Amino acid sequence: MLFFRSEERVREWCRARALPVRPLVGMAQLWGLATAWYSTRLDPAARRPQPGEMREIFARLGLAGDFWDPQADSFG
Amino acid sequence: MDLDLKVKLAVYRHFAATARRPSPGEIGERIGATAAEVLGAYGRLRAQRVLVLEEDGAAIRMAPPFSGVPTQHVAVVEGRRYFANCAWDVLGVFAALHQAGTVHSRCGQSGEPLLLSVGPDGPEPSDWLFHCAVPAARWWDDIVFT
Repeated sequence: MLFFRSEERVREWCRARALPVRPLVGMAQLWGLATAWYSTRLDPAARRPQPGEMREIFARLGLAGDFWDPQADSFG
Repeated sequence: MDLDLKVKLAVYRHFAATARRPSPGEIGERIGATAAEVLGAYGRLRAQRVLVLEEDGAAIRMAPPFSGVPTQHVAVVEGRRYFANCAWDVLGVFAALHQAGTVHSRCGQSGEPLLLSVGPDGPEPSDWLFHCAVPAARWWDDIVFT
């Protein structure tokens, strides 16, 4: 999970490793992920999002498709 | 409060206060438990994907978003340098601490430095991108690689 300066840098990185280019995430979306996962992490009642909650978070942030499905069986 | 929760909170509070991983002895001292009891709790927290441990089962590699080892993703808050596990987690440090600061990271391909201010409502506008090579369903197959 890395930062990249541009889409072209992502494509170069993936090409060098023979990996597919995955969905690109903008900084505002990434902040949404960070707050959803971690804003209560230091609280006694904190817990990791469960699969159904993960799907809701991703959908709310516009991250759709099997890539973001924590229970997808389409990736071997 | 049960032992595992005490250990988890002590670990996270140590990271938050010091920006460094605690030893089992430091956690035991803080909560009044033996090192063996702390290590037992570490194992259960690992099974729950709360902690990631080094091979010795005693050193904390990850207490997400915090990293127990130096990485290229650094959150600077009030002069403390917190290492994070990945690009997602480096923003997660600010979310967890509810404090402002600066991201110090770099482009995964070119190495170009990234300096990004983060305020109470998130990072300043930026056209940098985040890319994850591993689908969500496979993240925990090898969380260090992910």
